[in-house]
Amino acid sequence: MTYQDDQLEELREIVADVLELEPEELSDTGDFMEEYEADSLRAIEILARIDKRFKVEIPQAELPELRNLKAVSAALARHATAQG
Amino acid sequence: MLEHKDVREILPQRYPLLLVDRVLELQPGRSIRTIKAISGTEPCFDGLPEGAERWRFAYPRSLMIESFGQSAALLWLDGRRAPALDDRTLMFAAARGLQFSDFAYPGDVLRHEVRLDSVVADTAFASGETWVGDRRVATIATLIATRRRVAIGPNPSPAPAPSMCRQSEEGQP
Repeated sequence: MTYQDDQLEELREIVADVLELEPEELSDTGDFMEEYEADSLRAIEILARIDKRFKVEIPQAELPELRNLKAVSAALARHATAQG
Repeated sequence: MLEHKDVREILPQRYPLLLVDRVLELQPGRSIRTIKAISGTEPCFDGLPEGAERWRFAYPRSLMIESFGQSAALLWLDGRRAPALDDRTLMFAAARGLQFSDFAYPGDVLRHEVRLDSVVADTAFASGETWVGDRRVATIATLIATRRRVAIGPNPSPAPAPSMCRQSEEGQP
């Protein structure tokens, strides 16, 4: 597995934990709100966990775009580069 | 150290739901230690019948978490009063990963040791433990508090959504 794969799987565990799912239940493109009944608070919690684990701050303004795991992973990669 | 007078100036809660008596130590942005003394005259014990069993005097876990949450708010607000013109209301949003290892009874003093883990988008994440002396009674993995605009008046707006308030624990242990 590449570093990116490892990071995606770690992200899947974090997001699944917040959404109270098993990691295997969370697909790459499943919509957090429509498929997993997330609310805005859970989305903020995902940002807080990412900040804590990866030391990367994803701006609150991007919250509406972070609708699925793939989008969160892309945002993490983008801001890790910008902040690193 | 903040005395009860100071706590009242910072927190909007009042009797019977102001559940922090004193701040022992505050490290701004990092941690706080607070205490809440439990008395037999707490409203939660009101109306218990004569001869009520001992377990019925266990302090409700929901109130213990509320008290922990108010301590987290004091930490988040940095021991300062929220701006008077601020129309945002401080709210308990959620608690996750609660473990209760013991009970607290009238005469006990709860001591909350709270750490502020992060603040994102006007939402604070805290964790910590609640002790009675050297007995740990609760461990809180994540407590989430938020500040939202809340309309108060004849035509309240629909926000915040009811799903924001996810109660995790029922009243009695």
